[in-house]
Amino acid sequence: MKDLRIKITGTSGQGIISSGDILSYATARKGYYVTTYRAFPSEIRGDGKCYYTLRISENKVLTATGDTDILICLDEDTIYECVSKMSNNGILIYDSDLVPNLKETRDDIIKYAIPLGTIAKKLNSERSRNMVALGIVVGIIKNLHLEEQILKDIELRYKNKSQQIIDLNKEALNAGVEYAHTKLERKDNYDSAQMQSTGSKLIMSGNEAIGLAAIAAGCRFFSGYPITPATEIMEWLAKELPKFGGKMVQCEDEIAAINYALGASYSGVKAMTATSGPGFSLMQEAIGLASMAEIPIVIADVQRCGPSTGVPTKTEQSDLFAALYGTHGDCPKIVLAPMNVADCFYQTINAFNFAEQYQVPVIILSDASLGPRRECVDLIDLEHLNIVNRQKPELKEGDVYNRYQDTPTGISPISCPGDLYGEHVVTGLEHTQANAPTPDPEVHRKMTEKRFKKLETAAGRFSKAKTFGDEDATIGIISWGSTSGPVFEAIKKAEEKGIKVQALYPRTLYPVPTDWIKNFIKNKEVIIVIEANYNAQFKSTIVERCTHINKSAEVLEFLKYDGTPFTPEEIYDEIVKVAKVQEEMYSISTNKHTHF
Amino acid sequence: MKQMEASDYKGKVKPSWCPGCGNHAVIMALRKAMAQLNYQTHETTIVSGIGCSSRFPFFMSTYGFHSIHGRALPVAIGLKEAKPEINVIAVGGDGDGLSIGGNHFIHAARKNPNITYIMMDNEIYALTKGQCSPTSRTGTITKCNPYAWTADRINPVLMALSFNASYVARGYSGDVKQLEQLILGGLQHKGFAFIHIISPCVQYNKVSSFEKIKEIACNLPSNHDITDRVNAMKYAFAPDGLYTGVFYKVERETYEERYKTVIRKAKEIAGDNYTIKDVIKQFQ
Repeated sequence: MKDLRIKITGTSGQGIISSGDILSYATARKGYYVTTYRAFPSEIRGDGKCYYTLRISENKVLTATGDTDILICLDEDTIYECVSKMSNNGILIYDSDLVPNLKETRDDIIKYAIPLGTIAKKLNSERSRNMVALGIVVGIIKNLHLEEQILKDIELRYKNKSQQIIDLNKEALNAGVEYAHTKLERKDNYDSAQMQSTGSKLIMSGNEAIGLAAIAAGCRFFSGYPITPATEIMEWLAKELPKFGGKMVQCEDEIAAINYALGASYSGVKAMTATSGPGFSLMQEAIGLASMAEIPIVIADVQRCGPSTGVPTKTEQSDLFAALYGTHGDCPKIVLAPMNVADCFYQTINAFNFAEQYQVPVIILSDASLGPRRECVDLIDLEHLNIVNRQKPELKEGDVYNRYQDTPTGISPISCPGDLYGEHVVTGLEHTQANAPTPDPEVHRKMTEKRFKKLETAAGRFSKAKTFGDEDATIGIISWGSTSGPVFEAIKKAEEKGIKVQALYPRTLYPVPTDWIKNFIKNKEVIIVIEANYNAQFKSTIVERCTHINKSAEVLEFLKYDGTPFTPEEIYDEIVKVAKVQEEMYSISTNKHTHF
Repeated sequence: MKQMEASDYKGKVKPSWCPGCGNHAVIMALRKAMAQLNYQTHETTIVSGIGCSSRFPFFMSTYGFHSIHGRALPVAIGLKEAKPEINVIAVGGDGDGLSIGGNHFIHAARKNPNITYIMMDNEIYALTKGQCSPTSRTGTITKCNPYAWTADRINPVLMALSFNASYVARGYSGDVKQLEQLILGGLQHKGFAFIHIISPCVQYNKVSSFEKIKEIACNLPSNHDITDRVNAMKYAFAPDGLYTGVFYKVERETYEERYKTVIRKAKEIAGDNYTIKDVIKQFQ
């Protein structure tokens, strides 16, 4: 077994996230690839259900979705909810103290009823049921040799708590392992699970990757307001920025947060903020200010279900319209969409570089399936990161400095408070090159063009779109952001079944990457646009601007808006469906192009 | 370093306020106070929001940030926190600072950043041609409330005192000499200095005219203890007179100073030679 999906479920407060985190760190440190998916309710304790999915593999994996091999349920409800999505011969581990009589359920899976409560009670710590359960799993997949590493990770995780807590958790884990080795009547063959360890990897969440990249890019100021699922960026930077002499400032609301960041950026310090839907709506006016006054700023939007408060902990890609058009007026900006945790790092580096170089707001569209998920990332070459700083004017006494000097690139050198002879006033009013406010029609026309010229300058310098799959395929997938993991796997599976598919991920969404899309759809007969929203936001704003290049290509959409991420299986099924229709069309037509 | 004079702070753009507007007196007083402290133009930033008085930065030769409606304080504090060596002065009107930006006023005061906030209160929205503001008098007639303005007014000085602003003063545009002293005191004060200035609008507010304000304005008693916040509140409450002068002044740690503790603690853990390579270790 080279690929293992483990799911830990239960009720808020049962330690689902802790045990999942410990297991994922330990597997990565042991040298396996791991990716995770966390779903949890908004309530801290109560009836809300928590789900932590891990996928461990010897190859790089970028989605944890799919059928579960080992399911650990710390409550009763999640058993019946989650067994339907288990693989044949999968293992269900549940607490027989809590569920003495398991209702009838699938008989093609192996069920281990284990008195987790009793075992924990013997250790005088009923709250350690999660660690006992984790021990059982570790005991079952013993050939992955995780035990020692997990003990180390328990120590790391609780080092700021008491020694007693560390000891209790360790004892609970050991008790679980021992139970699996000595008392459990094994009916499974997960002993055979073995994987090649390929050396220690980095493991981080999408949110942490954004924070890490911010520091690497030279960001020294973050202002924010707590909001799920973006808060982790703020918390992480609160811990790390001061170590570099930087600041994380918690504000009274998101409007203040982005305006603090603009003030900081104006002073010459690289600055960012991070938020989710409701906060992103509040920030729109200031995004326009950044665009008009040409102040570099990075905004990470970790999307969640909307509109309004929506479903705070669940994922959606429904803020694209807001990112593109949320601000009034003609508002040049750059919108980036990272595809996975590693890409969160690289796209954030890009975001700062673009913001500084082109003096525009740069929006990073992450989401709830990407921000909190921990995943292995290949080692990052910190020595060779390309870091860009804003262009400064060279001024001497008597020079006339025009802050908004029009140039062939549209980029005007920018001075900041403290710089001699560079005094100027930035403003959200339309202004002349010499930053004097004016309603003059000619000035407004020219300055609008000047600001957009920067995007033309930038367009040639964006990171290339990613493609995967066979370039001769006639079925194409165009998608963005966090869907990339499941799409990649669905394409692999389709290829194994003889269906050729190629996918395109433009990692820059605005300015609209028309060249890449046009080039991609030239030889396609069917395009499936995949995204997690109801309105087909990406398809209608971006893809359809490019389809005139190949009018015979049919453009379909495959949408999901229930708050859960796409699975490879869903996408694979859609591919098969489309391939079937395509085949039927061939058979009734001699000229394929007129029919598709 | 150049020895500055008030006229050195004149900006490229001439003040566009109406002749007779109270704001002319405020800008004169600020320039004079800045010259006394020899503020260098490149080391000073004036930050504002939107409104007549918020056009202020354009009329100065310093750095300036004319931001969006109500957001002068967040921009100003962000700037100050990122670059504490810059002198940061936030300016604006009653609508900008008490209505749309009211929330920020509370949090600026309690955070106590070392900035000065000058509020020019004309009791009206003048840039949009005369609508009621949070300081308009109940019963005021404007185009937006042709029968009567139905809300009560708020009291900015009392607000600042209750939010724990560490310097609170009030002046009015008819007394430039006093204004200069109040602003000078605010600039010299270490912490969040709030200066409320009654700055009459000659165009849209005939009720609170220079003459009327002159009638009711009086200096705070010379024996007023500026460290006594409760007593300061009593004067701020006074229904029969408009007290001017320094209501309250008590220095406490500024936001920047408190953040130094944060940085010191973080550096104790991280060590002096902490680099991005060390950061990455937590992910290994």
